[in-house]
Amino acid sequence: MRHTPFIPAKAGIRFLWRRVPAFRGTNGGWSRADPLSLRSLLGLLVLCFAVATDQAMAQTMTLAERIVQCGTCHGEDGNSKLENIPSLAGQPAFFTLNQLILMREGVRKVEAMAPFVKDLTDADIQALADHFEKLPAKPSEETVDPALAERGAKIAAQRRCESCHLPSLAGQQQMPRLAKQRIDYMVHAMKQYLTDRRSGADTAMTAAIFGLRDEDIVALAHWAAGK
Amino acid sequence: MHRLSRTVLLAGGIAGAFALTTAPAISQAPPGMSALDKSDPATSKQDANLKPHATPPIVTPVDKLPLAKLKLPSGFKAEVFSSGHPGGRTMVMGPNGTIFMGTRLLGRVYAITDKGGKREVRTLLQGLTQPSGLAVKDGALYVLAINKVLRFDDIENKLDNPGEGVDLTDKFNLPDTIHHNWKYAAFGPDGKLYIQVGANCNICEINPGIHGQIRRYNPDGSGMEIVARGVRNTVGFDWHPTTKELWFTDNGRDWAGDAGPEDELNRIAKGQEGAHYGFPYCHANGIPDPDIKIPNACAGVVMPAALTGPHSAGLGILFYTGEMFPKAYQNVAFIARRGSWNKAQKFGYDVVLARTTPDGKAKVEPFMTGLLDQKANEFFGRPTYLFQMKDGSLLVSDEQNGAIYRISYDAKTAEPAARPKKK
Repeated sequence: MRHTPFIPAKAGIRFLWRRVPAFRGTNGGWSRADPLSLRSLLGLLVLCFAVATDQAMAQTMTLAERIVQCGTCHGEDGNSKLENIPSLAGQPAFFTLNQLILMREGVRKVEAMAPFVKDLTDADIQALADHFEKLPAKPSEETVDPALAERGAKIAAQRRCESCHLPSLAGQQQMPRLAKQRIDYMVHAMKQYLTDRRSGADTAMTAAIFGLRDEDIVALAHWAAGK
Repeated sequence: MHRLSRTVLLAGGIAGAFALTTAPAISQAPPGMSALDKSDPATSKQDANLKPHATPPIVTPVDKLPLAKLKLPSGFKAEVFSSGHPGGRTMVMGPNGTIFMGTRLLGRVYAITDKGGKREVRTLLQGLTQPSGLAVKDGALYVLAINKVLRFDDIENKLDNPGEGVDLTDKFNLPDTIHHNWKYAAFGPDGKLYIQVGANCNICEINPGIHGQIRRYNPDGSGMEIVARGVRNTVGFDWHPTTKELWFTDNGRDWAGDAGPEDELNRIAKGQEGAHYGFPYCHANGIPDPDIKIPNACAGVVMPAALTGPHSAGLGILFYTGEMFPKAYQNVAFIARRGSWNKAQKFGYDVVLARTTPDGKAKVEPFMTGLLDQKANEFFGRPTYLFQMKDGSLLVSDEQNGAIYRISYDAKTAEPAARPKKK
C-alpha cells in the first residue's frame, strides 16, 4: 500500500479522533456510545482513512473512483453510517459544490477533508455534487426522540428554519438538506456556527442560530433528522 | 468561545437573549428570530420562503454572460472587460494598472493585469474570510477581511508571490463578529482609511460604540474617529469631487415588508461628522422601526439625500469625473444595485445615477438595466461595484457571473436627440 505525504496516517486518525464528539468528551450527554462500539468505530475510521489517503494522491481519478473514495466515509450510497460524518445523499448539488469549493479554498477548514479536495477541479466537484444529489436520502440508525423532536419543532418555528431549508427540509441551492441527516453531525455543524468557526454561504445562518444552547441544538437535530 | 454572544449581550439585547436561553419560554418568546434579528414575521407579512440568492463559486463561461441583455442610454456601449473571477465584487487599481478584486464567500482576492490587450486573471490571495475591503495607497494593497487587516507593500511587483503581508489586525482592532462585518474600505481625500462597521444583525439593539458606524483611521491603524453613526450597513462610499463631502449607500433592514423601508443614499455634510443616521430606530425618510420602538425615533436623525428603492441593495457608488462621458455625467454618482432578496417581486439588479442638487439631496434615475426580467421575476446578473478607468470608461462588476463589464461612450453612435449639446 502506498501512503501519501499529505497527511500521515497517524495524524489523520488524530484529526478524526478530535472530530468524534464521544472522544472529545464534549457530547454533553446527548449520545453515550459504549466502549465496544467506539473501538469498532475507531477501526472503521482507520480503515476508511487508509483507503482514502491512498487514493488522495491520484489526480487522474475517474468520477467513479472518486465516488468510491467519498463512500468509504460518507457511505456507499451517500448515507453515512459513521458518527459525525454527514450524509451526502439527496443534498442539493449547489450546496455540495459550494462546500467542497470552500474546503478546497481553505475558507471552510475541515482538516480531515483537506487532502481529498486539494486537487479537485471545479468540474470534478460539480460532477460529485450532481451525483450525490440524485441518491435517495435514508435515515441513519440513530433514534429520533419524539419529545426532543417536538421541542425542536417549536424552536425551528421561531428561528424560521423552513424558510431557507424548505418545509420538507430537503434544502435548496446553497442551503443543505437536513431531513434524514445524521443527528450527531447536525449537532456538530450547528456548534460550528455557534462558535463562529463556520459562516456558511451567507451570514444568515449565524443570525438564525445565535444564542441557542446545546440542548436546543440537540432538539433541532432530532426534529430535522425525523423529517 | 461565545465572543459573538458576549458582544451582543453587552449591546443591550439582554432581555431578549435571556428569554432565549430559558428553554420553556420559547413559545412565549418576544417577536424576533434571535437576538440578532428582532423582526416579527407576523407583522412583516412577507413570503416566509424568501431567502438570499446563491452566488456561484465557479466560472461563468464567456458565452453565458448576460452582455446582450444590458441596456444603456444612447451612445453608451457595454463589453466584457474580464471574466473568470467568480464572486469578484470590489475593484481598486494599483499605480501600474493592476486591478485588484475582492470577494466575499470565496475568500479570494484577484489580480487582473493587461496582457497584450487581453485581461489575465490571477488568484492573488485565498482562504481569507470575506476579503471584500480593498484599498491602495503608495503602491501597497490593503486587504480587509472579517476581523483581518493586511497590507501588502509594493504589491504590483509581487503578484506571483505576495507573501503573508503585514498584519495590522491588532492595530485596527475591528470587531470579530461575522454578520454584516465584511468590509468596504477606501482612502479619503484626507489620506485616512475609511471603513464601515455594520450592524451585527438584521434588526436589533446594537452597541453604538462598536457597530453601525463609518470610521476613519490613519493608514497604520491609529487615530480612529467615528464619522457616522446609526448606519445599518454601508458597503459603498465616495467623496463628492468638488464639495469633498462623503456620500454613502446604506442597506435597509429586512423582514419589515416587501415595500421597504427603502435603502438610502446619504451625505455627511461638512462639520456633521459623527452624526446619527437612524439605525435601528428610524429608517429611510423617517419611518420608525416596527419592532424596536422608542419615543421620537427619528429625532436628531439625518434624513437621506435620496431613497434608492426597497431591498435594492445599493452597494458601490462612484462620482464620475472622466472625460469620455457627456458633460451631463460630470460629478454625477453612479450606484450599483445588487438587487433584492427579501422581496417577492425582485427589484434592482441595475446601475442608477444620482444627480446631486444644491440642497444636498439627490435625484435617482436609471442608467444600466436589463439584468432583471420583471415579468418572469428572474435576474441574470448582480452589479456590485464601479470603477472609473483613466480613459473615462466605467467598469461594472457582476458578482453573480464573475465578470467585469466596460461601459464606454461614443457621441457618433448616439441618436441625434440624445446627443448632448456641444460641450
